[in-house]
Amino acid sequence: MRVETEADLKALQAAGLKKLKPDKPRIAVGLATCGAAVGGRKVYDRLREAIARKGAEIDLVQTGCIGYCREEPLVNITLPGKPLVILHKVTEPDADAIVRAVLNGKVPEDKALCRVPAWDHVTGFVMEYGKGFDAIPLYQDVPFFAPQRKVILRNAGFIDPGDIGEYFAVGGYGAAWKALHGMEPEALIAEVEKSGLRGRGGAGFPTGLKWRITRDAPGGTEKYLVCNADEGDPGAYMNRNEMESDPHMLIEGMIIGAFAMGLRYGLIYIRSEYPLAIERLGRAIGQAREYGLLGENIMGTGLSFDIRIARGAGAFVCGESTALVASIEGRTGRPHPRPPRLTDPEGGLFGKPTDLNNVETWCNVPAIVANGSGWYAGIGAKGNTGTKVFSLVGKVDRVGLVEVPLGTPIRTIVFDAGNGGANKKKVKAVQTGGPSGGCIPLRLFDTPVDYESLNKAGSIMGSGGIVVMDEDTDMVDIARYFTGFATGESCGKCVPCREGLKHTLLLINRIQAGKASKKDLATLQEVCETIAATSLCGLGQTAPNPVLTTLAYFREEYEAKVKP
Amino acid sequence: MMHGSAGKEHVPGKPVTVTINGRQCRAEEGETVLSVAIREGIPIPHLCHEESLDPYGACRLCFVEAGKHGKREMVTACTLRAAEGLEVTTDTPAVTKHRAILLELYLAEAPKSEVIKEMAARYGVTKTRFLKKMETDDPLGGKCVLCGLCVRACTEIMGAGAIGFINRGPYTEVNTPFLEPSADCYGCGACVKVCPTHAIVMEDSGSERVMKSWSSTRVPLAQCSGCGRYYAPKDLAARTVAALDPPLEQDLAGLCPACRGNQIAEREILARFGGAGHHG
Repeated sequence: MRVETEADLKALQAAGLKKLKPDKPRIAVGLATCGAAVGGRKVYDRLREAIARKGAEIDLVQTGCIGYCREEPLVNITLPGKPLVILHKVTEPDADAIVRAVLNGKVPEDKALCRVPAWDHVTGFVMEYGKGFDAIPLYQDVPFFAPQRKVILRNAGFIDPGDIGEYFAVGGYGAAWKALHGMEPEALIAEVEKSGLRGRGGAGFPTGLKWRITRDAPGGTEKYLVCNADEGDPGAYMNRNEMESDPHMLIEGMIIGAFAMGLRYGLIYIRSEYPLAIERLGRAIGQAREYGLLGENIMGTGLSFDIRIARGAGAFVCGESTALVASIEGRTGRPHPRPPRLTDPEGGLFGKPTDLNNVETWCNVPAIVANGSGWYAGIGAKGNTGTKVFSLVGKVDRVGLVEVPLGTPIRTIVFDAGNGGANKKKVKAVQTGGPSGGCIPLRLFDTPVDYESLNKAGSIMGSGGIVVMDEDTDMVDIARYFTGFATGESCGKCVPCREGLKHTLLLINRIQAGKASKKDLATLQEVCETIAATSLCGLGQTAPNPVLTTLAYFREEYEAKVKP
Repeated sequence: MMHGSAGKEHVPGKPVTVTINGRQCRAEEGETVLSVAIREGIPIPHLCHEESLDPYGACRLCFVEAGKHGKREMVTACTLRAAEGLEVTTDTPAVTKHRAILLELYLAEAPKSEVIKEMAARYGVTKTRFLKKMETDDPLGGKCVLCGLCVRACTEIMGAGAIGFINRGPYTEVNTPFLEPSADCYGCGACVKVCPTHAIVMEDSGSERVMKSWSSTRVPLAQCSGCGRYYAPKDLAARTVAALDPPLEQDLAGLCPACRGNQIAEREILARFGGAGHHG
């Protein structure tokens, strides 16, 4: 059926709710890539067999991931009238016990991580699950979740990403309805501007302004809207989870963007290394077309817009806007100097003005439209509004995806959510922003995580990877790792990046081999400064950050390795 | 798809005044500051610039400091567009410092290039602290700086696409696909002509032109039906003759430019003097 009236949408929501909160037990296994990697798929199979053996009336579904990677596989249980209970570290042998408990109206409490009596899905719907299971801790009392605020991961881990019905259930596509039926494009852009939303790909450009520039560019509807899903920073995987767990929020964000900018072609540029995200997005796009949410005459408004998927072929630099466009056009992924920018009349994809936004940027849009810019601007800090998802990885006790308001101090993320170093080791530093970011030492952990403060500390927000280092970490080796990554991913067009990074790597290798002198340290510093100052694109300009920040904050580790 | 400015009609921009090192220079709005500097004889080092191609910004040597109303920014002159009131300084301390490091990187990348050595020396750089690239079987003889001009001339100007970039990052090299002789190469030598470091080796040997640097691609040469000299790549000569308007008379088509010139001159003279000047 096609969604053409508000009643259609309400009917679909009601139908979806019957799946999400059925009048029989529901077991949901977290099966994003992370859950599958630690055996979630097998847990799912055993549960299915156990349910079949008992002939039990239990719904078994897949969900995405709530983000607590350390505790996976995660399994949700919903019993009618009871809170949703999240089980953690579920193994295959647990399947029988789970099914048995559920059939007795219980949950295996020894496996329970927390309970969720009600959940705010942010886009205008609060799910009331029920009461009971008081012995199980509340979701908000779990230390990993306590400092978090879920805006982007509003549905992740709760709904089946393969079923548009469950997205309708939590108020999905309600924001698109509100925008397309109740707002003028101009007002919509103003709303996004007022929200203060900035690009979540790392550069932090104001999203509303980019939309306005694209809308005002000549070309009528012959423009492109592109989602940058070429997430490639080592240690960063929030975009993957966003797409795997809740693909429709991305599509809904893009529909709203298309309406605001008045254009008809959308593309998601996604790396081939994300097969599950590609599969789920592909299915979600198909479902959206079926319901008249993509294609011609969307929601009966006359808006025409469709989304296609373009797959990257494995080059980090193709996340850079001009290289990304070259890659989609079938050319080699090499950046060109800007201007022309993508939004310029002949500067974008196939020579048309093009709006490029990161996955997470798009995912914020439905929440802003549903709740208003004032609500959104109230989250986070001035000039850095909203939340950001960080992948907290490395030598940290609680590994996972942490969503916090911008402006949250690093300390809160690493120590409150992350519980400090793994195996009780002392944390020494974090690396933010991937190979383009820098290492921030413990003494600067009160730095609020926002675009400007991280820059001041010598690092960047980047896409949101936070890699924790402990007392055993060799910071020179960290610099070597990231320099090696950037060297291998340099496109080779400009000399500072191509040759400079190579020699940076050679110099670090010399230092690690104990063959370097103090003079080499000076050379290292100089060449890195030149790479940062003279490279053609963002990759080269930021690639020396891991070296420059470790030289600044952990100089003694370098000096201990060089001859006087 | 052609990306070059070749073939695009030149629409002159508004006349503007740009100040370079305190000197007022007349320019067209929108032309690059590097073009202005070259015309005015103001030295700015560069390797990847070619007037007939779009700005590319790869060699990073043409950095200048520029801006308006006192605000200054380090930018490449080849991508900086002339605008009224733009003020440019070519050799600021920051530019000089970074350029010296870049030249050191070039000295290490192309240790055999005299052009690079001379250019570096002009800016006071005579040694490199970086490990020099040593390859015994480099078809470009340790002189290539990967400026991309050969690839762009081949693709964007000639439309041949016989050579391209292979690999990426520090492993980037230029050659034919799969290092096999190219069937697409015209043997026009545009690559040789644009190469700033004279790295590309091309030799004519008998009836063939050998592109030694490009996997020894062999291109047949056309022989002049007059003097017997091999004068141009066969296909390219045929293509050029076919494109002439008005067309060349049939009996002149197989001649080299020198013989053709002689022939035309002779005919002209015969026509005018009725053979009087002809003394056998």
